[in-house]
Amino acid sequence: MSNTVHDMGGVHGYGPIPLEENEPVFHETWEGRVLGLMMTASAHLKGNIDNTRSESEMMPPEKYLNYAYYERWFVRMEKACQTKGLVTAEELNEVWVGNDLPENKVADPLSPDDVRRNFKAGRNYSRQIDTPAQFAVGETVRAKNINPIGHTRLPRYARGKVGVITGEHGGQIFPDTNATFSGEGPERLYTVRFTATELWGPDANPNDTVCIDLWELYLEPT
Amino acid sequence: MPHDSHDHDHTDPPSDLTLRVKALETALTRKGYVAPEAIDAVIDTFENKVGPRNGAKVVAKAWSDPDFKQRLLDDASAACAELGFAGQQGEQLKAVENTEDVHNMVVCTLCSCYPWPVLGLPPSWYKSHAYRSRSVIEPRAVLEEFGVSIHEEKEVRVWDSTAELRYLVLPARPDGTDGLSEDALADLVSRDSMIGTGVASAG
Repeated sequence: MSNTVHDMGGVHGYGPIPLEENEPVFHETWEGRVLGLMMTASAHLKGNIDNTRSESEMMPPEKYLNYAYYERWFVRMEKACQTKGLVTAEELNEVWVGNDLPENKVADPLSPDDVRRNFKAGRNYSRQIDTPAQFAVGETVRAKNINPIGHTRLPRYARGKVGVITGEHGGQIFPDTNATFSGEGPERLYTVRFTATELWGPDANPNDTVCIDLWELYLEPT
Repeated sequence: MPHDSHDHDHTDPPSDLTLRVKALETALTRKGYVAPEAIDAVIDTFENKVGPRNGAKVVAKAWSDPDFKQRLLDDASAACAELGFAGQQGEQLKAVENTEDVHNMVVCTLCSCYPWPVLGLPPSWYKSHAYRSRSVIEPRAVLEEFGVSIHEEKEVRVWDSTAELRYLVLPARPDGTDGLSEDALADLVSRDSMIGTGVASAG
């Protein structure tokens, strides 16, 4: 979903920035296990980054806001592991009540070397597209005023606003379709610079700007 | 309800996240979907292999070597890979340079996108609702909370990481650092200066 609490840009009321001196990488041991589970089970979950984000966004807003960061990741993943049939509620329950589970290998896990290799290799989000660019660097464009029910990476605060294209990044996987596994639908990606006064009105500092990476389908000529 | 007796065989999820995470890891491990030592490798990567010291080396080299700086600004992923810093969430890195006219700062208003290979995992404040909401609408007020004041005539340019590009701020080299080695320069580069909520400082 797109018009949910995850789309936070410009919202008031969240208070001061919670600064912390000498913060550890993980505050609790389980947080690192959650990240590790995400990065190792992902091969079997057959998700993608856009689908993962979309699932988090579909959480009830009060839960999205109240969960700790890695708790949100974990709850999403615990659910996905059951939805996709990797584990059952009965199996989780056995461990919760203090029992172990018998070994029952039905898959091959990633090894530590696999993990290190995958991290180093990264992913490739670029896709060749043959259609000519609809917009050029320096051109003025408007971010469409759209309110899709599904996933999108066009933040609300930019919708309907006019900016200038400052970068063009070729074809990239389109999150709106990739999130639902309905195709990578590569679209040209641009960086668009908006003035703070365009986004927030005359009280903003006229020198300030916000740059947002937006796919061609999010943009229209002015 | 007909399934009541079935439900009563189950406890609610434990409130203790340690137990709940352990249960998922155990179940996935017994079935061969994950290996605990591979999870250890992920944790080791983020605790020991990637982090802001990597980014600091990149910045120090850019300050010391104009050709490298140009390569960094042209293609930051390739330039960082020269130093061995490459991988997930750094596939399409862009370095943005602080100048006399522009102060850059980076946010992800929609989630928590961050350039892992050069900065590691983001600090809690970067993922906070406060930073995500306020950075785009009142960046100067946010910067003040970090102790950073930017002259009102100077542009504050905020980069909202909405796509798969990841941003690294190239802070300005502090005055009075002529002749310092790359190692000594790297010590002046804070994590926050590479997010844009700090500045590199000689003292």
